[in-house]
Amino acid sequence: MNRKNFISALLPLATTASAMALAKQNIFKEPSLKTAPAYLKKGDTIGICSPAGFITLEDIQPAIAKIKEWEFDVKIGASIGKRDFTFGGTDEERKKDLQQMLDDKKVKAILCARGGYGIVRIIDDLNFTKFLLHPKWIIGFSDVTVLHNHINRNFGIASIHSKMCNSFPVDWNAAEPAQQNSIESIRKCLTGEKMNYDFEWTLNNKTGNCTGQLVGGNLRTIENLSGSKSDLLTKNKILFVEDTGEYLYSIDRMFWNLKRTGKLAALKGLIIGGFKTKKDDAGEEFGKSVETIVLEKVKEYHYPVCFDFPVGHQKNNVALKCGILHHLKITEAACILKEL
Amino acid sequence: MIKFPPNLKKGNCIGITCPAGFMPKQKAQNCIKTLQQWGFGVMVGKTLGSKSTNYFSGSDEERLNELQAMMDNEAIHAILFGRGGYGVGRIIDKINFTQFKKRPKWLIGYSDITILHAHIHSNFNIATLHAPMAAAFNNGGNKNQFIDSLHKAITGKKTSFTCAVHPLNKNGNATAPLVGGNLTLLTHLIGTASDIDTTNKILFIEDIGELVYGIDRMFYQLLRSAKLQNLAGLIIGSFTDTRNTERPFGKSVYELINEIITSANYPVCFDFPVGHRNENYALKIGGTYTLKVGKQKVQLSAL
Repeated sequence: MNRKNFISALLPLATTASAMALAKQNIFKEPSLKTAPAYLKKGDTIGICSPAGFITLEDIQPAIAKIKEWEFDVKIGASIGKRDFTFGGTDEERKKDLQQMLDDKKVKAILCARGGYGIVRIIDDLNFTKFLLHPKWIIGFSDVTVLHNHINRNFGIASIHSKMCNSFPVDWNAAEPAQQNSIESIRKCLTGEKMNYDFEWTLNNKTGNCTGQLVGGNLRTIENLSGSKSDLLTKNKILFVEDTGEYLYSIDRMFWNLKRTGKLAALKGLIIGGFKTKKDDAGEEFGKSVETIVLEKVKEYHYPVCFDFPVGHQKNNVALKCGILHHLKITEAACILKEL
Repeated sequence: MIKFPPNLKKGNCIGITCPAGFMPKQKAQNCIKTLQQWGFGVMVGKTLGSKSTNYFSGSDEERLNELQAMMDNEAIHAILFGRGGYGVGRIIDKINFTQFKKRPKWLIGYSDITILHAHIHSNFNIATLHAPMAAAFNNGGNKNQFIDSLHKAITGKKTSFTCAVHPLNKNGNATAPLVGGNLTLLTHLIGTASDIDTTNKILFIEDIGELVYGIDRMFYQLLRSAKLQNLAGLIIGSFTDTRNTERPFGKSVYELINEIITSANYPVCFDFPVGHRNENYALKIGGTYTLKVGKQKVQLSAL
């Protein structure tokens, strides 16, 4: 990949002011209109590509079978089965594949095959012109948070945060109901059902009601986008975050990042998904739970906060429409996230 | 205009505190002894070898109060941090810099201390010292040239460091203010009130214990937040104890960095002696340095 063009394309931005000043001036104006791409009808095509980590054609067969069962067509991208070490092909190959999926008018939704790492390496080389003329659903989570946040921040187009191909079970009937329901929720999202999730109450929740646009994703990725043109704006929104494999101290540091970049101050509500933590090293016990870490950051705010929402690197990971207005209700009797 | 804290004279006092992770007192003994041999008094805070039973050297309040007291105490002329780890980010917004701005003193450390360096550089333009901390004085470290560079820096002697050339270096010269520190923390601070402006500066970067793809991701964050475009120079220090994923990243840390900055039109050197290893020179954040990256050697000299 010729990164020379990439770096020089960014040069004019940096010549006038620092990144911080850019952030303050907010020259990347947030789009006001929130557009939902057209919902899918039977016979519509879903494109599958791998913009981040490597995956084989065999690995995506369960997803293909399920999508066909849903009576959609599948277009398999060239990045499936390609491999460049950890990546699903070189930057150029992954970019080209995602680009043609964005540009192909027949493709009504793009399902990312898996996460991993790699989208931030190609995001600034993607051309969204045709995507903006014909918006389509972009589906995935984890590293795909880069796409969700970039699209939300720059174009105001809705996208679907959900499981990906690598989570479709080989034997559907043997899968746990939580996994089945999570995958079924992708179909519901895509076909225009209004999402309505009832979830478990936890002792640490902060009760309240709110209405706002739903945004969020992987916490590490959100921190990594700080200061870039894909940086998420959270004012008056309902933010959800999840992460996996991080030490508690690192989760604490990332919540400080959310707080110190102003992402927690003006929320309507905060949804904490799954946080599978890495065990503290011996003698380095952090001494605070994820709940404590979160609650101490938001103690001065009065919006509802809930824990253990079924989103994250786990079986129970329901599809969420990013960029769409939702109502969040947290009481001691019920916890409901409802699409408006 | 950058403000330099006064140089230390014999008889001055250095405070030792731990604003982040726990450190047993034993591990700071060589440091204390050496500072005394240099002719300084040493005031040891309670956070060093505290009764804390968890990760931290004390509660947020205890760590904050001790750091605050040492910053405000006129009888303390410099603060050397016992160790880094994690914890400065939890108290940074509660530190009151009023007295410190009136009477700056050298703050000495690295790693998690990067937060203090960046915050003070950005907000107050006062020089701080990115340098070895207490544990680096152990195992004969107190006699090496790196601890000596710390001694020289706090007593106002001009320092000049050289290192071997690296095949990925980009040759050239630059004279500019020096900023930098730990990569994880520099990226963590982007978009916060402690974020640094790197325009027309020499940036140095080091890290420890990170996954190779994570380092790639952080360099992309630097790139995408416009931190690499208008540098005067770039110094890549050590990346110790890096780990790989099950499916390897396929490039070394230096290779991936080199790819990201391939079109840079400023001097770049790799494997400079700064980072989490013995080879860790004392560098004045905000001080003006001349970086010469040549065919025979690399030299970084304080102006």
